[in-house]
Amino acid sequence: MREKIEQLLLKTQKPSRYIGGEHGSIIKDKSKIDVRFAFCFPDVYDVGMSHLGMKILYGLKNSVENYWCERVFMPEKDFEKLMRENDIPLYALESLDPLTEFDFIGFTLQYELSYTNVLAMLDLAGIPVRAKDRHDLTPIVMGGGPCACNPEPLADFFDLFILGEGEEVNLEVLSLYEKMKPNNPTKQEFLREAAKIEGVYVPAFYDVDYNTDGTVKAITPNIDSAPAKVKKRIIKDFDKVYYPDGFVVPFTSIVHDRAVVEVLRGCIRGCRFCQAGFIYRPFREKNIDTIKAETKCICEQTGYEEVSLSSLSTSDYTRINDLLESLVEYTDDERINLSLPSLRVDNFSEELLEKIKSVRKSGLTFAPEAGTQKLRNVINKNVTEDEIMHTCKMAFEGGYANVKLYFMLGLPEETMEDIEGIAKLAQDVVDLYYETPKEKRGRGIQVSISTATFVPKPFTPFEFEPQATSNEIKAKQQHLFESITSKKIKCSCHQQNVSILEAVLARGDRRLCDAIYTAWKKGCTLDGWDEHFRYDLWLEAFDECGVDISFYANRRRSYDEVLPWSHLDYLVSHEFLVRENKKAHNAETTRNCKEGCSGCGVKKECGGVYCG
Amino acid sequence: MADFLVPKNQSLVLERFDYRLTYGKTGRAKYISHLDLMRTMQRVFKRAKIPIWYTQGFNPHAYLNFPLALSLGTDSTVEVLDVALLEEHDSDEIMTRLNACMPEGLHIYKVAKPVLKHTEIAQAEYTIKFNSNTSADEAKTRFEHFAGRDKIEIEKRTKKKGINIVDIKPHINLVSATASDNMTVIDIILPAGCQFNLNTSLVMDAFCKLESVEIDNIYTTRTKIMCKNGEDFI
Ligand code: SF4
Repeated sequence: MREKIEQLLLKTQKPSRYIGGEHGSIIKDKSKIDVRFAFCFPDVYDVGMSHLGMKILYGLKNSVENYWCERVFMPEKDFEKLMRENDIPLYALESLDPLTEFDFIGFTLQYELSYTNVLAMLDLAGIPVRAKDRHDLTPIVMGGGPCACNPEPLADFFDLFILGEGEEVNLEVLSLYEKMKPNNPTKQEFLREAAKIEGVYVPAFYDVDYNTDGTVKAITPNIDSAPAKVKKRIIKDFDKVYYPDGFVVPFTSIVHDRAVVEVLRGCIRGCRFCQAGFIYRPFREKNIDTIKAETKCICEQTGYEEVSLSSLSTSDYTRINDLLESLVEYTDDERINLSLPSLRVDNFSEELLEKIKSVRKSGLTFAPEAGTQKLRNVINKNVTEDEIMHTCKMAFEGGYANVKLYFMLGLPEETMEDIEGIAKLAQDVVDLYYETPKEKRGRGIQVSISTATFVPKPFTPFEFEPQATSNEIKAKQQHLFESITSKKIKCSCHQQNVSILEAVLARGDRRLCDAIYTAWKKGCTLDGWDEHFRYDLWLEAFDECGVDISFYANRRRSYDEVLPWSHLDYLVSHEFLVRENKKAHNAETTRNCKEGCSGCGVKKECGGVYCG
Repeated sequence: MADFLVPKNQSLVLERFDYRLTYGKTGRAKYISHLDLMRTMQRVFKRAKIPIWYTQGFNPHAYLNFPLALSLGTDSTVEVLDVALLEEHDSDEIMTRLNACMPEGLHIYKVAKPVLKHTEIAQAEYTIKFNSNTSADEAKTRFEHFAGRDKIEIEKRTKKKGINIVDIKPHINLVSATASDNMTVIDIILPAGCQFNLNTSLVMDAFCKLESVEIDNIYTTRTKIMCKNGEDFI
């Protein structure tokens, strides 16, 4: 097998992505292994290798001596073709063994557009894509990650899903398997036991009934051991959670090629469109000493010259200044760059600001998401125009001249005035630049507006909302272009069709399984890549399977409709989401968790810093 | 919000300590591209806690120099890497510490002070093993015929002139051709270095075309890097 693979490598781009052997990749002696796990990232190597969750779970499973976790990625189209022509089944990068030899095949579901890749990868491995066609105990196909909060469109393809945070439950599932395996259980027997573990959802154990209007009538367990509601898992003592002492360091440059340390999980802000802000609740953080020790450990093991702090919003760390000062002490000594994505500038000490000023004068990014304060109140995005202007002023004085502004189009309650607000905000930034003294400011102001179409997601206050139709979005894009007058402002809009597909899949039910299967059969894979995205084929697939796109994308759900994910419990209560939805329509904001708990339903026992 | 970078302090250092490393690139590592190898080695030094000297000036970068590129997919245990360090180290210690941090397939065999200049590199020797659509013996005979031709004209892309027809015959020095274990084994010396470089793949492509041979599997190893007079560069 290895020889066969090697002979193909020189026919493809960046072959080192397909052969493993990177520093930090873990090779074990197969004869001493009881559980083999193939961790699949359903996208190409460059994307998957950048993903922190994969690094954590890879290290975690390999920390158990008799478990061996390996990495698998989606090959690019050229290599997939070569593999098929030469009868090479999809293999894992460590042992180069085909996936059929593994006990578990685990997919991380990070975005809807990777769904067809899951099918493609199973098929390339020679494994039947539908769970009902896989009769043996192994391989057991499981999925996790944010999209597992509504895994229904994939229900036919998976044996089980893991809801919520994986650090504990993954090991529980593997150890259950290790215990049962000597008795040769059937897959059914194993799944029955697995379903008793909190956070494990076995879709086959639930029946879905539909109303005549097409909405879901009821979702009911069909065996006793399956709970009526499956609850997501959460790490209660986040400071003590497993963190890898090493990463796999790729040879080729990848999207995020640096050391990463997770400082906090959850978000206090509750932006109403943001799924991450709700499904990762509550807000928990690590101690400074823990973060510092993990930083040091990862930097030393990888040899990276840059370390980045990861979180949904790093500036919300309770002792951010102390943390940074403590880290800079180490990174300066070791000549390592410390990069801080998602940070607000205003709560910095002078000294740190000085240090920041001396590099990377190129980019400054804001995500106001909406053009007017009214609409920002609707979405509960806690950014004011003053704050943006204040930060831009400091940045311009520090020599920055490029500002990127991110917005969404098609938000609930959005009017054409809000669209004009986007253009006005960008113009204000341009004007501010020209007010900055010439000797201080950098040269060549450029403000870029980037817009994406709003996609309503499960477990957010907007899960009830219709997505704006194609025509509505087109009219808004048109209006935005017309409202921009300055040549210093550039505007780009995301592909509309991608957002429609995301909207269908995000809030879909089990009746979409066939459509996904059909789309994949027609040749849809790597949908997340513009050059491969074939909306026409997706439309054909939906049509053939009798799926009405507007039913999923553009329909308003009533508060009492049974949603396809209503048997899954992400701790945030339905009542809270309804309350937030109503407030949104009244343009009322909700305070963040730090200012005071709003009673979202997450229990104090989950370890949240602010939960009361 | 913004993506900021808090910088390291890079101060001016004038003293440097030069070393020449002989390393191997085999197995899975032979698919690391030249550009990626630079980054990979830099991280190896970082992990080994052997600080590299940075070039001074406007855009400082770690001083690592590979005088002769190795084609992707070619094995070698005779590759050269020149590096400047911030501190003086014992050669054996450098070797031990680096080897402890190497990815699979990369290995340092020798650490010494550089003697010859890079420009001295003039040729390299390769062993090429392959299976083809004819018998190993027949392929061997055809290769000898190939190497004995009056002219071997190939198209070579150059930056200035676009496609150029070059006769590579005078540059091919066939050391031996044998057949063993169903494989044809070619030992060959080709020009290498900054003045004129000839890749094995160009030669093999020309061979396949002129002698109508189709290659199934091919394994190439660089066995020597030499100066003009045939002496080992390292
Ligand atoms: S319980 Fe209160 S503090 Fe905790 S996440 Fe919910 S709203 Fe925030």
